[in-house]
Amino acid sequence: MEHGSHLDNSSSTFSLVDEDHTLANALRFTLNQDPRISFSGYSIPHPSENRVNIRVQTTGAPAQEALKDACQDLMMICQHVRSTFDKAVADYKMRNPE
Amino acid sequence: MDYDYDQLGGAQEVGPQIKIRNVSPANVDFMLSNVSLAFANSLRRVMLAEVPTMAIDLVEVEANTSVLADEFIAHRLGLIPLSARNVDDVVGSRDCDCESYCDRCSVVLTLQARCTGDTNMSVYARDLVVSEERPNEYVGNPVITDPDGLGSLICKLRKGQELKMKCIAKKGIAREHAKWSPASAIGFEYDPYNRLRHSDYWYEEDAKKEWPLSDNAKDEDIQPTDDEPAPLDPDPTKFYLDVETVGGLQPDEIVQQGIKVLQSKLAMVISELSREGGGDGGYQSPQGYGTAYGGGAATPYGGTSYGGRPAGY
Ligand SMILES: [Zn+2]
Repeated sequence: MEHGSHLDNSSSTFSLVDEDHTLANALRFTLNQDPRISFSGYSIPHPSENRVNIRVQTTGAPAQEALKDACQDLMMICQHVRSTFDKAVADYKMRNPE
Repeated sequence: MDYDYDQLGGAQEVGPQIKIRNVSPANVDFMLSNVSLAFANSLRRVMLAEVPTMAIDLVEVEANTSVLADEFIAHRLGLIPLSARNVDDVVGSRDCDCESYCDRCSVVLTLQARCTGDTNMSVYARDLVVSEERPNEYVGNPVITDPDGLGSLICKLRKGQELKMKCIAKKGIAREHAKWSPASAIGFEYDPYNRLRHSDYWYEEDAKKEWPLSDNAKDEDIQPTDDEPAPLDPDPTKFYLDVETVGGLQPDEIVQQGIKVLQSKLAMVISELSREGGGDGGYQSPQGYGTAYGGGAATPYGGTSYGGRPAGY
């Protein structure tokens, strides 16, 4: 991963190779929920290049930290959905034996 | 039967909820609520395109005197659903040390058929012979679900015609080629009554009469009134997903694997950010994210550094 702007760490563009809307849109949404974020968005500069750029601007906090926190938030959601789903399926199968 | 965590002592629990509507060998139909549209869509996309499965990727043709061209048959072979059970045991072909393929990164299926009778002969997926040397006992088995136990039809042969091929199945994802997709279809819907006004229905005379209501509408809590104003918060929170498997993975396994893929993407970004942070900001990761994000269902992901935010999605 590359990222720009070394002078001011409150705004950065992170360039993720081999990623697309799947990751970027979820991150963008999660970032925008964060009160420290003044702007965040993403773009895929060219359709034939497997790359997505995520722009993060904060009101002062390091952009890198904000992105990392967004990832951790999403990770927790994933974890929660995963265990909830496992439980729900197990329960369904128990109640509805084939 | 309906299942609601709210009635089972989970009332204090906020955050994502799931209600399973149906599970069958072919599909899992569920309701996902208290998540963002962005998350639900990421889950849908990852299940469609990035869950690894097995598919025939190389075909060595020794003999083909059928009416179909080599590449035509090779394409058909590629589309045959193969079991991807415990596909984690298979090494990705690009990550393997071997030259082109080996026992660790592939499964060899041989196809040998010759028509000797006077009537035409059909060659089916069941005629593929799976080699013994493979990463585990399931991976690469042709998926056969029809009552006659035939599997997919590959080709038909006339008297004297012959097929002799060596097929090499590899692990892959559907982002590279759709033949690796674990899901044949994923139903995805939210807000069946269109209360959020995300859809603008085209109609001739009356949109209500011309657009039949989705089945999912019966699981909505609120019946809208005709003169209802557009809501102030336009974000959906309840999603209806129906994941249908091609056959290589159990439908609920597709969901689990999908989330796992999403998590490994996040883990990659986190570890990358932690690595970079040490250099220019002096930021040290409190937790070690260096390890690959494996199967563990109980990873200690702590809260984020900013408080005051409700579970936040
Ligand atoms: Zn190999």
